[in-house]
Amino acid sequence: MWQQILQSVRSLEYPRRNAVLAPAALGAGGLLVCWLLSRRKIKTLAMGDGWWGSGERPPREKEDETIQCFQIETSDREIQELHQRLDQARYIPPLEGAAFQYGFNSTYLQRVVAYWRNQFDWRKQLEILNQYPHFKTTIEGIEVHFVHVKPSRVPKGQAARPLLMVHGWPGSFYEFYKIIPLLTDPAGQGLNEDVVFEVICPSIPGYGFSEAPHQQGFDTLAAARIFHKLMQRLGFQEFYVQGGDWGSRITTNMAQMLPKSVKGLHLNFIFITSGGLGMLVSLLLGAYVPWLVGLTREDSRRLFPYFEKNVYDLLRETGYLHIQATKPDTAGCALNDSPVGLAAYILEKFSTWTDKSFRNMDNGGLERKFSLDDLLTHVMIYWVTSSIVSSMRFYKENVSKNPNAAPDARVGVYVPTGLAAFPQELAHTPRSWAKKKFKNIVTYSYMPRGGHFAAFEEPELLAQDIRQLVKKVEHL
Amino acid sequence: MFLEIFLTLALGTIVYLFFSRKKEETLPIEEGWWGKGQKPDSEEDATVRPFKVETTEAELNDLFRRLDQTRFTEPLEDSYFHYGFNSVYLREVVSYWRNQFNWKKQVEVLNKFPQFKTKIEGLDVHFVHVKPPSLPEGRSAKPLLMVHGWPGSVYEFYKIIPLLTDPASHGLSDEHIFEVICPSIPGYGFSEASHKKGFNSVSAAGIFYKLMLRLGFNEFYAQGGDWGWLICTNLAQIAPNHVKGLHLNMVSVTNMRFTQLLSILLGRYFPGLFGFQDEDVRRMFPFLKKGPYMILMESGYAHIQATKPDTAGCGLNDSPVGLAAYILEKFSTWTEPEFRKLEDGGLERKYSLDDLLTNVMLYWVSGCMVSAMRFYKENIGKGIGTQKHEKLSVRVPTGIASFPNELLHTPRSWAQQKYVNIISFNFMPRGGHFAAFEEPELLAIDIQQFVGKVEKKEVWKEKGK
Repeated sequence: MWQQILQSVRSLEYPRRNAVLAPAALGAGGLLVCWLLSRRKIKTLAMGDGWWGSGERPPREKEDETIQCFQIETSDREIQELHQRLDQARYIPPLEGAAFQYGFNSTYLQRVVAYWRNQFDWRKQLEILNQYPHFKTTIEGIEVHFVHVKPSRVPKGQAARPLLMVHGWPGSFYEFYKIIPLLTDPAGQGLNEDVVFEVICPSIPGYGFSEAPHQQGFDTLAAARIFHKLMQRLGFQEFYVQGGDWGSRITTNMAQMLPKSVKGLHLNFIFITSGGLGMLVSLLLGAYVPWLVGLTREDSRRLFPYFEKNVYDLLRETGYLHIQATKPDTAGCALNDSPVGLAAYILEKFSTWTDKSFRNMDNGGLERKFSLDDLLTHVMIYWVTSSIVSSMRFYKENVSKNPNAAPDARVGVYVPTGLAAFPQELAHTPRSWAKKKFKNIVTYSYMPRGGHFAAFEEPELLAQDIRQLVKKVEHL
Repeated sequence: MFLEIFLTLALGTIVYLFFSRKKEETLPIEEGWWGKGQKPDSEEDATVRPFKVETTEAELNDLFRRLDQTRFTEPLEDSYFHYGFNSVYLREVVSYWRNQFNWKKQVEVLNKFPQFKTKIEGLDVHFVHVKPPSLPEGRSAKPLLMVHGWPGSVYEFYKIIPLLTDPASHGLSDEHIFEVICPSIPGYGFSEASHKKGFNSVSAAGIFYKLMLRLGFNEFYAQGGDWGWLICTNLAQIAPNHVKGLHLNMVSVTNMRFTQLLSILLGRYFPGLFGFQDEDVRRMFPFLKKGPYMILMESGYAHIQATKPDTAGCGLNDSPVGLAAYILEKFSTWTEPEFRKLEDGGLERKYSLDDLLTNVMLYWVSGCMVSAMRFYKENIGKGIGTQKHEKLSVRVPTGIASFPNELLHTPRSWAQQKYVNIISFNFMPRGGHFAAFEEPELLAIDIQQFVGKVEKKEVWKEKGK
């Protein structure tokens, strides 16, 4: 066929030939330019800069970049004061038959508080917390806390891969305490030691032992940039990142800002801000012809009935998000003053976000997946650091007027990505939807069990999936 | 993005409206039982017992101890009231509360109006009942039921009560003299909270209806804002023959119809076409900013209270300062949205700290915040626009006082879709959500002129016969 075209063109007289060749050349040239321009569309998020300390940024002072060792401590006074507040708590009986439908059931709450008052041993928990090395360093005017665990031994021929793991709300670095050994010491945990990590778990500024920003505007982009600076300060040019909840968005931003530093991105929670027409169509048709709109059978099972499972449920479970994104200082005020109120607020999430059916239980099913010691340690981290209000402000800083106009909504993610979809996660995101943002999905796994607090609840499953991603990225 | 959501809603509603029709019927009165455990076979004790607010040294000492040990969190620089209640100003309020506020004196203020309790449907219902001090020859007092809302209480009416029961002494016309009954909604203040699920505005209306009958009133007026608006509306729907007139200082339209949506799109340009007056246009537009955006910014509390009231209220029942911040934030923003730009939330511009803290104390000493929040779940927990009463109209003569700083403005043409017998609709010159508390005179005058119109119509009707 080509021969014929060439023949016919060559046979044309000059003026006619030009008339054919000129537009053809223009067309080809135009296509080439378009293609070249589209390659440049792989843009990154601007890093920017920030200052979060009190008052004005000191003009010529260079920031103190030293890293100091840190140990979490307590005092008798702190514990006594807590006990006194627990003793004076005022409860209101739940409605008859309410279980956890109206929020945290106060009858069960009283049992939790009795345990907290009489059996929970904060000093013993601190020993557990301090078993891993903690550090603090000042970045952009605020002190950033992190846990840094190196493997005790690295097999020959390997190097420990740096892995940054970022928590969310109402979690903390403590969520990773069960998974850390699986990643830094796989052999000791019965796993293959072909992949060994050195793990860094920072506290998001405003959470736990990281200082809270004093200025407005501290969003996930700022956190991402600070964590990049942290990793650089620790001497890592290339590393893996893992996150869920806010950690998911922060690590995604990190991959968008500096893709060459992020070897691989692993998420157990996916933020999708803009659905677009494609998502709408797949929602309308997905229940009937999932294969047609890129949904698997498992996707179908987890998504539909869409309104019931997603829209109503999301509305039922996002009251906290709404008030924290608008009036964090009001919402957090009482919680910073009443440890019982704080516990109810936080632990309600550990119940419902682990398994939605727990709402129908009088005790919220809390102790089915977690121990009271572990749960109360999480609460204590918020209590002793007085960080509940600043943790809530993060919602206001990140929920903007128009999510589609947010800078990170328009930039794709090109680093190798691994997605772990847990069945009891708040919302399910099928691979076909995630693909719109994550252009380089290397692994997508339907996890057999587990909810929102994946690292805390199913550390083995999560560790397995992280290792699988790394092996694929490194072609092992 | 809002435009897209909005257009989708518009499309959806057009489809929905095609298939819906407003039903003309009364709301049935439901017999309820809200007490603990099983309903006993014996007849309910219908006596009306006098009640007085009391306090003890122990109660005060406990409060002071908690105030003294408050843990505050510094606000972000230059955040004013944009992130909620500013804790720098909160410290000042707490200092006043601890050192100058005199609860014993305020209890005396509360007790200056006679209060009572009576058992209805298993719950002890608290109410204030004020009769006029004197009545001119041959005149009778008109019974007026006034219902508060959240986070208010019967105390909101303490300034307006004298203007209604004794207008002459306050420089107002004494053409209409009222006998005022202000109950506490069950679950609020000194009214017992329901022990059963499902206690909503219709249940409260049923209880207040029984209360008025028990007090011997066969016909009465009803007035309300916030939840009081809805309860009084329901009252007019379940007992239209007993409610002579319904006066509201807040109206919310939950059943959006096609014409309303159209009026949002075009009302700014063709106000006359949609029955909008200039003042309507001034208050409603730009719509996205004053409507949906305002709702989103200010309804976080409603969202969490309608889904997890027990969680949301837990800390508030344990930390008086947290409770104060939560409640007083509303007294700031709902009085004037611009107050969010002030470091002190403009709270003391319209109210005294004594009055504000008295209202907070009512929630604190009764420990009612959790049950008060549950009312949100019982009413809107299943979604707005889903309840039967939202689809029914109100035939009772209605008067609406439209205050400029109310969170959302509802024009007469919209209100008319539901309140088919509006005989009075006035734009108030100033004032916000807590009308009775903030502008008692304006509200009293509007109630009086409304009642005047109702009585005139009655006279015409009588003459007509």
